[in-house]
Amino acid sequence: MNAHLPSQLVLDKELLRKEDLRLITGQGKFTSDWHYEGMCFAHMVRSPYAHGQIKHINVSDVRNALGVLQVITSEEVDAAKMQTLPSGVTIQNSDGQAQHLAPMPILAKGKVLFVGQPIAMVVADTLEHARQAAELVQLEIDMLDAVTDYESALSPDAVQLHAHVPKNLSIHFSKGDVQATDKAFEEAQFISHMKIKSQRLIGSPMELRSVLAKYDATQDKVTIHTPNQGMLGMLGALEQITGIKKDQIEVIAQDVGGSFGIRAGAYSEHALVILAAKLIGRPVKWVGTRSEVFVSDWHGRALELNGSIALDAKGKILGLRFDDKADLGAFTCYFGSFIGARNISITMNGVYDIPALSMRSELYFTNTVPVSAYRGAGRPDIAYAIERLIDHAAHEHGFDLVALRKMNFIKPEQFPYDNHMGSVYDSGEFELLMKRAIEVSDFNHFESRRAKAAANHRLRGIGLACFIECSAAGTTNKDQVLGRFTKDGVLQILGVTGASGQGHETSFGQIVTTATGLHADRIQYLAGPASKALIGSGTGGSRSLYGAGSAVQNLCEQILEKSKELAAQHLQVEAGDLHFDHGSWHLSAKNASVSLDDLIKKFQPVDASAHPLDAQGEASSGSTFPNGCHIAEVEIDPETGVCEIVNYTAIDDLGVVISPKLVKGQIHGGVVQGIGQAFFEQAIYDESGQLLTGSFMDYAMPKTGCLMQIHSEHIEVVTKSNILGSKGVGESGCSGSLPALSNAVINALRPKGIWGMDMPYTPPKIWEALQG
Amino acid sequence: MQMTINGVVQEFQVDDQTLLVEVLRDHFHLTGTHIGCDTSQCGCCTVLMNNEAVKSCTMLAAQATDSQIVTIEGLASDGLHPVQEAFSQEHGLQCGYCTPGMIMSTVHLLNRHPNPSDDQIKEGLAGNICRCTGYVNIIAAVKSAAKKIQEKTV
Repeated sequence: MNAHLPSQLVLDKELLRKEDLRLITGQGKFTSDWHYEGMCFAHMVRSPYAHGQIKHINVSDVRNALGVLQVITSEEVDAAKMQTLPSGVTIQNSDGQAQHLAPMPILAKGKVLFVGQPIAMVVADTLEHARQAAELVQLEIDMLDAVTDYESALSPDAVQLHAHVPKNLSIHFSKGDVQATDKAFEEAQFISHMKIKSQRLIGSPMELRSVLAKYDATQDKVTIHTPNQGMLGMLGALEQITGIKKDQIEVIAQDVGGSFGIRAGAYSEHALVILAAKLIGRPVKWVGTRSEVFVSDWHGRALELNGSIALDAKGKILGLRFDDKADLGAFTCYFGSFIGARNISITMNGVYDIPALSMRSELYFTNTVPVSAYRGAGRPDIAYAIERLIDHAAHEHGFDLVALRKMNFIKPEQFPYDNHMGSVYDSGEFELLMKRAIEVSDFNHFESRRAKAAANHRLRGIGLACFIECSAAGTTNKDQVLGRFTKDGVLQILGVTGASGQGHETSFGQIVTTATGLHADRIQYLAGPASKALIGSGTGGSRSLYGAGSAVQNLCEQILEKSKELAAQHLQVEAGDLHFDHGSWHLSAKNASVSLDDLIKKFQPVDASAHPLDAQGEASSGSTFPNGCHIAEVEIDPETGVCEIVNYTAIDDLGVVISPKLVKGQIHGGVVQGIGQAFFEQAIYDESGQLLTGSFMDYAMPKTGCLMQIHSEHIEVVTKSNILGSKGVGESGCSGSLPALSNAVINALRPKGIWGMDMPYTPPKIWEALQG
Repeated sequence: MQMTINGVVQEFQVDDQTLLVEVLRDHFHLTGTHIGCDTSQCGCCTVLMNNEAVKSCTMLAAQATDSQIVTIEGLASDGLHPVQEAFSQEHGLQCGYCTPGMIMSTVHLLNRHPNPSDDQIKEGLAGNICRCTGYVNIIAAVKSAAKKIQEKTV
């Protein structure tokens, strides 16, 4: 064990989060930090080609190489009767037409369909031996042409990825009221169109994807360590793939180094490492390298949104139409289809009251890494598209962009508001939020700042965006937590949603402290094998705080209810006469009281039996609608094309905020991931399907200083969809920053005649556009 | 091979190709030093060598012979280092994976510039990537740590 902390560490001041001490002292435990006696090491053999027919895979030299313990090819996968990876949420058109699915095989068989696709796994006594042996694989692959974008995938003479999918089209999804929308466009005074790309991104959480499995043959039980977003998602996928029952698998992740959507389910490597551990009878560890996970972690975004808006003479929006394209990559995996159909449609009216909506979306296959969820999973993309389109329409037809928004906002008295695209917005104060953002950002005096910048030969721009998103409804009908008191009087809360940086231990603890008065030191949150009997959603879709957090709130209510009886017993009074305040039960009439703390101690069983205050909390919480108004201000140096963010204001309605500092942290992180997409990041494939941006050297990440300051404020509009009144925060930052930043950049460039540009706004792109 | 790791003189044998980060993580189980990339970009593996921040994934162990190495595990002495404290208090970390490297780079930055300007902070942390925090709170942590250190030395 690596205990190098001084035994008597003096903490001058309190630390912010319960998680922090271990993480700032190097005592955190991520998957690659686990070590077991006799552990061996796996290395993946991946396809070097984007598209090809596998003629022959010869691994006999690999099997005979120094230190090699096991080589797994598709033959071993078939022998183990493993299934494909799950396609995840699939879609159907209202006329019943189903989607062409293409689930990804654990290891390539017959064909390879993207660079990085797993072909074989080599396991050896050391990582070095596994790597060296993998060099001896003889691969004979007949290369085929590759398709890497919409144009090449759907061209009449395009090669087909999957024999059963004509034209590489998985489905042409449609939704909304086409007739009403067509009518709105016929009646419109003004119409604007805009094609908006949300480019393919690589999620890049800092902890590399990894998995360590050990197998206990005596109990036929598998234990895996792996970063995940909640063990139930991982368990469900593993059961489906491997056939091993959930109760024979334990998933452990003490610390997870970021997730952002990509860790919601199992990958090939999870299934293969489990198989290897069973075959060899020793623990097996696989840790991806960064270059490797660039071509094998699910990619994100990869959407094209073509929006058209119809306005009447005064600027009232009559109708909105989207014609979208969603690149699924080579296979249907997890959330790709859900994003390209459902998530980009359910809030497609944004914060506006629009009577007629319709959308179509083509979901197609390419020879690229499969696409799944990345921070927001379609929500930021559609928010981005709407807010760019509104700005565009305002400029094109001479409307004031603030007045145009104000006129079209859904008014507070219109809630609940059914947009007839699958969402019923429950609450929001859009005008109030915009007003505050305008105030804080000094929006109305912008032109003088623009003039001042112009005097210094700089182009200054301001961008405003109002957005809304639909947070996750959950994968189970309720979330449960189990509360049990340890012999030291610590309330241990077991749940299924594990954190990957959000700070669950701290915020769930805060809910308990607020409700019961118990000190943070006396509360412990654990997501792991002990919670397996519980149900609940994972960490995703901005959901954990109001999902599992509401279950924690319900747990507290039950503990208090039970403690009331114990207090009455202790004080020998009627329970009905007691009231709870500041962590104690009081009987005002007699000036008597007893603290919850004392009751916990007094009723502590002497044997191993359960504490009478132990309870199971649960709550059903539906989707919420976090929303906000973000305003960004940028300055461009026309000599270099470099764009600097000089001001950023984020006014967010997240419902009831439990941990303000942590919530702001989520906003900051989301905003800067938006900055990453707006200014730096883009996964680029060449025509042959090779990923040109294959490492942090070619894929630019946002770094320190890309944003020096941010003004973040919350306006709490309480939701009734969960007992905490909270709306979720994880994805808001991104949804606000993409349109605010883009509108600011275009605002700076518009005086130079530039009305449109696709992200990322790199210096060469801006410079080139300025050259005309 | 000999080097001082967190104040303790260590003698050990590794082959020529072994990286410093492998010695720390695999040989001494100092797993607070992380690996986040393979191109020296992310800085998760940053440690101090003779008081200078270095990327331990980009150095052979042999290059660190006879040097003084401090890892995140060796930073706290009679209490948390002010940089550690500041990162927590300013919420300069979320998942914590990049944090050890960020903290070690900040320690080196503040050794060079006790009262760093914004540009010096940008330059000092240019080799460290964080995907969670958005950096704004990391910048706040660096400034707060600088203040703490100055108050201590006065």
